[in-house]
Amino acid sequence: MSHFLDRLTFFRKTVDEFSDGHGIVTNEDRSWEDAYRKRWQHDKIVRSTHGVNCTGSCSWKIYVKGGIVTWETQQTDYPRTRPDLPNHEPRGCARGASYSWYLYSGARVKYPMIRGRLLKLWRAARATMPPVAAWSSIVSDENKRKSYTAIRGHGGFVRATWDEANELIAAANAYTVKAHGPDRVIGFSPIPAMSMVSYAAGSRYLSLMGGVCMSFYDWYCDLPPASPQTWGEQTDVPESADWYNAGFIIVWGSNVPQTRTPDAHFYTEVRYKGTKSAVVSPDYAEATKFGDIWLNPKQGTDAALALAMGHVILREYHLDRNIPYFEDYTRKYTDMPFLVRLTERDGRFVPDRLLRASELPGALGEKNNPDWKTVAIDEATDALVAPVGSIGYRWGEKAKWNLEEKDGKGSDTRLKLTLAGADTEIAAVDFPYFGGRATEHFVATDHGEGEILTRNIPVRTIDCADGTSTKVATVYDLMMANYGLDRGFGGRNVATSYDDDTPFTPAWAERITGVKREAIITVAREFATNAEKTNGRSMIIIGAGMNHWYHMDMNYRGVINLLVFCGAVGQSGGGWSHYVGQEKLRPQTGWTPLAFALDWGRPPRQMNSTSFFYAHTDQWRYETLTAAEILSPTAPEGEWGQSFIDYNVRSERMGWLPSAPQLKQNPLEIAARAKAAGLETKDYVAQALKSGELELSCHDPDDPANWPRNMFVWRSNLLGSSGKGHEYFLKHLLGTTHGVMGKDLGAEGRVRNQEVVWHDKAPQGKLDLLVTLDFRMSTTCVYSDIVLPTATWYEKNDLNTSDMHPFIHPLSAAVDPAWEARSDWEIYRNLAKAFSDVAPEVLGVEEDVVLTPIQHDTAGELAQALGVKDWKRDEVAPLPGVTMPAVAVVKRDYPNLHARFTALGPLMKSVGNGGKGIAWNTEHEVDALAVLNGVHTAGAAKGLAKIESDIDATEVILMLAPETNGEVAVKAWEALSKATGREHAHLAIPKEDEKIRFRDVQAQPRKIISSPTWSGIESEKVCYNAGYTNVHELIPWRTLTGRQQLYQDHLWMRAFGEGFVTWKPPVDLKTVAAVKGMRPNGHKEIVLNFITPHQKWGIHSTYSDNLLMLTLNRGGPVVWISENDAGKAGIVDNDWVEVFNANGALTARAVVSQRVKDGMMLMYHAQEKIVNTPGSEMTGNRGGIHNSVTRTVLKPTHMIGGYAQQSYGFNYYGTVGSNRDEFIVVRKMANVDWLEGPLVPKEAAE
Amino acid sequence: MMAGQLSNRTFKALSALLTYPTRELTMAIPEIAAVIAGEGLVSQAAAKRLKPLLADLGTADLYDLQERYVDLFDKTRRHSLHLFEHIHGESRVRGQAMVDLVEHYQKSGMLLSSSELPDFIPLFLEFLSTSPIEEARGPLRETAHIFALLEERLAKRNGGYAAVFTAILSIAGEVALADETIEIGDEPDDLATIDAAWEETAVTFGPGNATDGCSVDRLRIQMRAANRDVRHNVT
Repeated sequence: MSHFLDRLTFFRKTVDEFSDGHGIVTNEDRSWEDAYRKRWQHDKIVRSTHGVNCTGSCSWKIYVKGGIVTWETQQTDYPRTRPDLPNHEPRGCARGASYSWYLYSGARVKYPMIRGRLLKLWRAARATMPPVAAWSSIVSDENKRKSYTAIRGHGGFVRATWDEANELIAAANAYTVKAHGPDRVIGFSPIPAMSMVSYAAGSRYLSLMGGVCMSFYDWYCDLPPASPQTWGEQTDVPESADWYNAGFIIVWGSNVPQTRTPDAHFYTEVRYKGTKSAVVSPDYAEATKFGDIWLNPKQGTDAALALAMGHVILREYHLDRNIPYFEDYTRKYTDMPFLVRLTERDGRFVPDRLLRASELPGALGEKNNPDWKTVAIDEATDALVAPVGSIGYRWGEKAKWNLEEKDGKGSDTRLKLTLAGADTEIAAVDFPYFGGRATEHFVATDHGEGEILTRNIPVRTIDCADGTSTKVATVYDLMMANYGLDRGFGGRNVATSYDDDTPFTPAWAERITGVKREAIITVAREFATNAEKTNGRSMIIIGAGMNHWYHMDMNYRGVINLLVFCGAVGQSGGGWSHYVGQEKLRPQTGWTPLAFALDWGRPPRQMNSTSFFYAHTDQWRYETLTAAEILSPTAPEGEWGQSFIDYNVRSERMGWLPSAPQLKQNPLEIAARAKAAGLETKDYVAQALKSGELELSCHDPDDPANWPRNMFVWRSNLLGSSGKGHEYFLKHLLGTTHGVMGKDLGAEGRVRNQEVVWHDKAPQGKLDLLVTLDFRMSTTCVYSDIVLPTATWYEKNDLNTSDMHPFIHPLSAAVDPAWEARSDWEIYRNLAKAFSDVAPEVLGVEEDVVLTPIQHDTAGELAQALGVKDWKRDEVAPLPGVTMPAVAVVKRDYPNLHARFTALGPLMKSVGNGGKGIAWNTEHEVDALAVLNGVHTAGAAKGLAKIESDIDATEVILMLAPETNGEVAVKAWEALSKATGREHAHLAIPKEDEKIRFRDVQAQPRKIISSPTWSGIESEKVCYNAGYTNVHELIPWRTLTGRQQLYQDHLWMRAFGEGFVTWKPPVDLKTVAAVKGMRPNGHKEIVLNFITPHQKWGIHSTYSDNLLMLTLNRGGPVVWISENDAGKAGIVDNDWVEVFNANGALTARAVVSQRVKDGMMLMYHAQEKIVNTPGSEMTGNRGGIHNSVTRTVLKPTHMIGGYAQQSYGFNYYGTVGSNRDEFIVVRKMANVDWLEGPLVPKEAAE
Repeated sequence: MMAGQLSNRTFKALSALLTYPTRELTMAIPEIAAVIAGEGLVSQAAAKRLKPLLADLGTADLYDLQERYVDLFDKTRRHSLHLFEHIHGESRVRGQAMVDLVEHYQKSGMLLSSSELPDFIPLFLEFLSTSPIEEARGPLRETAHIFALLEERLAKRNGGYAAVFTAILSIAGEVALADETIEIGDEPDDLATIDAAWEETAVTFGPGNATDGCSVDRLRIQMRAANRDVRHNVT
């Protein structure tokens, strides 16, 4: 039967089958799909990033719909880099992906807020008085002042208008400048690279006023002082893409997949290529699973491990076998051939200073800076020579500061590494051994005689200019002896076998670290063998786990030596990859004029925060560590027994470290005094300091005349995250409720200090005003007097760069700031306006006397070459910039501060620009900016380029910096050529016409242009790698010898036994005994080492209050402990525990995990006390943060200054805030109290 | 806003009570009290409970009032006056929800003129005051559970502000809670029950609750999360 009539001829059904009945078209309701369509609809996509301190600098697409940010996704359009390299993208992490909800979250700061009690006082005073007088009436009345300062952290905020808040702050600033001095106005903001315009906004405001910008990198203990010591460079590292070029990678105390999430793919990819990796970590960290081999040393013993690996490498790759590449590298690029004087002591010798040309007859013909030219022996002639490239050649002459194998006269040289030979003289040289000083928590090892290891080495006796003779040895020979290698010179304390228990063999290290010697030997061999085969493509990625120890320099120098011994520094795929809080501000020289107002006045005031907070939060009053405990048994004669605050004061007055405040007297009144005395200001200051007419503030930090008075915190969570000694901040700087349980040195009757005035009653509440700018209600905001709402990272225009990749990135205003928020730039610009409006009440054009320490990368760094002389002790005359701080007079125009803030000042044309010791003319760029940004047509800045908006500010940076303006790059390289005598401009000439504008980086991130500010280059052939131009362009490192400085010869380095790297166990901070068993709660108390790594569910404290992140973790503060320790203390997983010591207490839940090593507690920093933190049973206050149980301890070797690479630079050198030597008591909580009632006023404990 | 644009002034009055206390607000308290009493939308019992807040706002020290307001509403999510904080929290659906709400306002001829977000409760109430009361009850019922939640939470901290939500709920009528009963009892303490309670519905494609960002399922999960109190876990 046919179906002819059943078939449709002219139609087909809308609902039908197809594909032989496998498919069917249906007609059901599909409107539900609109939900998905709508889900991805948007009005626009804007490129931005997260300005958080993570070094990520990841490109994100921000989706905006109806003026509301709806979500973000990772952007995937990075420019290509070079053939064979995997793509950079996708970059980003779970934390960044959750950012958009900060914008509208309940945690957001929406309005300017002022503590109600303060605002009430202000309005009452303001009703009858002009602004500055009104402020004065509040802070001059102790009761009024205390009524708001003593309740900091206890709520009581009300909203204010911007105008009112600005006027109050401006009046406070103006009053402080007039009454105490501009250096009492302090600002703390970290990591400019993450949002450089926002940083510059505040620092420009402060710098125009004469206020103080505080450092962060040293304070965070992310600065590894070993880097400036060795390389004369703050920190320079390979970009993450360069991991892909490595042949062997050690990941040491770093947790790449967790804390370097967007970069981790390069680590994964290079392992597919066949690269082997060893991971060194005491706990089973996330990075551990990437390792082909895992070494798990006892925490804090990394230096011992590195020394043993160095022992193996020197034995097998330098002594028993000659590797031409390693030997050549050692000769050309390290201080190993240079000669060290040996000082006789009881028939034995101690390594002294590096020999200088000035000490030899005729100074080897060197007339310019012979004190600063180091000496070696030429192999061919056996003569003493002063090789070019040492720091003496850098200043005062031209074309001889390079690493060519030549001496000062231009003759070719080949430097001798060892003095060993047939008839060489052998001498016994002493090395210190600190390994016996370990506390009961670590393995103490007894070696040598009375802590001294005497070893035989080849030496030579030479005649000096003064008619005496001295023995000298090469750094190379001393180094071999330092590592305990037997070379057949007889004597003791050297090893022939790895199984000898002699420092620093693998067997010795096994005792201390717990790592099997075989594993140490294997990793050392594979690391070196790879470097041998690849000319240095062995890399060490290193992190905070290594740097946060008191003796971090030993950890770092141990590791640096491994790299240098293998010729890995400055080679692609090799070198030292320290990724801790650095964030390379790539267009640095374009940014510094904007940030520190160098276009209007120089120098700016900058302060090292560690010393500042140590003094001004009075942590020094509780110091438990003495210099004697860390002093070397080989220390030269001298008075070494002072306390650390005393050392710091000596350093400040000798012009080594900066001071803030600087003088007890107001710096605005000094120039007039000098005039009255008929003296040059600097001569007057020197004389008056000597006579006592002027006093340095550092001698009495507790005198109200020397207190910091106003403080700004922006882009930072100083009190919730980075403030070591948190409870001391609360007690002394803020003057509010605190949890300090220890007693100060006065109460304890212990030895105190000599240089600093002791007050029996310590001040509580030094600050008159604390102002914080933030987008979220952080712990710092909670403790502030005024909180200003800032724009988030999707609401402002800014720039962002990283050390992890070579691209320059924008932050873009996808939407306007929500509620009343404003960008940092706008906030400070308006504040500048308010300041200019109120200033005339008390201030006009003023002369400000600024003291600055002796700066690295200036000719001043050649200050005291041959010894340390202190003017205060009458050892030398006070000479500004040489034996004491430099003195400058800077003219401030307070009524025109706003006009100056918004214009590019005249000094850029009249003085020029530069950085790191290089200077160039930048008139052309200034003119170009005037065209681009427009010029002011009236007022104090008439005719000058405008910097009104945040975009104007970005253009200043981009125009002036060599990294973003090819023309400037060429000028900068040419300027460097004058010093080196070599042609470098070829590195930038191909990009001479490239000029990167803000709109360009918004369109696509742009790769930076190679510049002499940095030691690596970007090219078609190589990834960015530190030290590259030193090795390949023969540009010296900015050190004493101009080479990688493995021997540190400054007097203070030798006094503390750090001439060579050695093993120093963690120090004993003695914070446990006083509180253990003090207030029992019925649960067992155990003592653990307190370790604070970076976390997984936040970037520092940011994101840690975000519900998404809280949900992924435990929803509040946690500490990790091992199963065994938990068992001992009767703690089970998720129990509430209290962690405490003399410094304070914190409360958290316990995570009990096999991951953690016995004896340590791991608390991810920085979990804030604003989320789910109950009260402490010890203090009766709310539990603290991780820093509640820490306290800063200074180290004298970090205070050295005026000495080549060991000269001060902001965030470059100085004391660092270590915190991992801390021990705590932990016990289960008996009573969890949430303290939700209203504040009950109670009398202060004292 | 001119009075003529309002269909009722009770919502506007309640909206005002939930804004940051200013001199202008405290001066307007008698007017607010009169409107609430006069229009009679708020039940008598609820209106009575508003008295302490009205008295407070009319007489207490302004700084104290402001400090209390900031403490209650600006510093904690728990009492956030943004509707979606309680529904969507940190979820990315929140942006779309706000966009939808703006569109809803626009359809009714209202454009946002302040820097506040569209889900700010005083703003939402002001919008309702422009709608005929029969129309206003719809959106009010849809959000009633959140008002109930805020009422309950605020009652523990400040009875005065809790009463504003009691008043709102009294306008919505008792149907409000019956429609979508959301039970958030004490957290169970055995793991199987916790898991069951927290398990999210599997995503199914097609018309239904799971795709709807404001669905009851979604809401229940979010509210449970928001209401979850760490203290319940203290052993």
